[in-house]
Amino acid sequence: MSRYGAPGGGPTVHDPMTLPVDDNVNSYTFCVELKGSQWFLQKGKMIAYYGSIDFNGIGHGRLDRLVRTSFHSPLHASDWVVAEGSGKMLLADRAFDVNSYDLDDGNLTIRSGNLLAFQPTLSLKQSIVPGFLTLIGTGKFVAASNGPVVFMEPPLRVDPQALVGWADCPSPCHHYDHGYMTGLMGGLRALTGLGGASGEEHQFEFVGAGTVLLQSTELLMAEQATGAVPHEPGVPGGGAGPGGQGGHGAQTGTPRLPGQLGDLQRRFGL
Amino acid sequence: MLAVDVTGDAVKAKNGSMVAYDGQMAFKKLSGGGEGIRGMVTRRLTGEQMTMMEVRGQGTCWLADRASEINLVQLHGDKLYVESSNLLATDAGLRTGTSFTGLRGATQGNGLFTTTVEGTGQAAITSDGPAVVLRVSPQYPLTVDPGAYVAHQGDVRQTFQSGVTFRTFMGEGGGEAFQIRFEGDGLVYVQPSERNTIAGDV
Repeated sequence: MSRYGAPGGGPTVHDPMTLPVDDNVNSYTFCVELKGSQWFLQKGKMIAYYGSIDFNGIGHGRLDRLVRTSFHSPLHASDWVVAEGSGKMLLADRAFDVNSYDLDDGNLTIRSGNLLAFQPTLSLKQSIVPGFLTLIGTGKFVAASNGPVVFMEPPLRVDPQALVGWADCPSPCHHYDHGYMTGLMGGLRALTGLGGASGEEHQFEFVGAGTVLLQSTELLMAEQATGAVPHEPGVPGGGAGPGGQGGHGAQTGTPRLPGQLGDLQRRFGL
Repeated sequence: MLAVDVTGDAVKAKNGSMVAYDGQMAFKKLSGGGEGIRGMVTRRLTGEQMTMMEVRGQGTCWLADRASEINLVQLHGDKLYVESSNLLATDAGLRTGTSFTGLRGATQGNGLFTTTVEGTGQAAITSDGPAVVLRVSPQYPLTVDPGAYVAHQGDVRQTFQSGVTFRTFMGEGGGEAFQIRFEGDGLVYVQPSERNTIAGDV
């Protein structure tokens, strides 16, 4: 067919016939087949495609109806595009591991920077946990992780940096090792590291039925700006908190520890 | 990491990429990448700098560059186009040179010029994550993101596509404003990662 083959067991050469359909090409590259259908994908994650595919910003007028049914975070709109057309498209993200997941009338919440693409049969919503996105419905989505993803069953406590997402767990909450952190000595330990701060005094706790997705490193993927949530009473991260982080900085900063000096004004009720 | 068996002949490799060797080896810096005075001047003028060394001797030499993935490319008298920063080593019999890439180079953030490798033998190119090799044939043209492009070989014509519209300036762009379209007959190497390019944000 072509004189550029793979001589003597060289690297596999792919063409539109041999590329998989909606499956991984290797651990770091995912192939999506479009047949007049549409996919949502995060900006700039397409690395190559065969065929004719159009990429349009969410704000494109023609896509209004699609966006209305399956994209419920207007403030993310600038980070997402819709690919439509026919052909095969390769997705990848900074040489991180890429995997696809099937949801069957389910729900899954995922760190916003890890989600690469999803079918419009799913609907994307901003989680009330800042920095996370929730997918609801039936369909396929593609997510990246730093190292392979491990699936765990609750009840368990996980390291905040290793958490990728969770499905069907209603109760993600913070857990602190109070015995180790309280009191003057605990505060000093956490602040200075003297006397052995293990760095593991703070975890996320999951109970109930469901699945928790973990990545096998503690290196976080770059956070994708998810837009600010409306400034309303009752909305977590709505910009009313101390420091006004305006959205999704909540799990990144050091939490205010009991017994820690500082925030004196709050103690005096000012 | 790439293991090169050298038996009296020579291999050209990126300067400083040797991590270990056994046997008898001599490393000699090749001024101008062994391209002569003209090649040196061209490289200096085009900013496509490349310092190569010649490895000669008996034994095995291990080459590596910043833990990036290494892909071997077999050349049968055809031409490989690769960025000098992505070229790790070539057989001594392969000729290297510089060529003009036009607008594509500008959007890749790699300058307007690229390195060519010609002849018969093997070349090793590096990429961030294992490169995916995609075939371009007359009935299946391929479109690639400039940030993920690593190299291509064969008789391939490239055209530059820009999807910049007024929406791009309103911050509503498709995220893939610049693309390279390959037509003809050959292979394109794409890495599963994107360099930072001016096209990355629009």
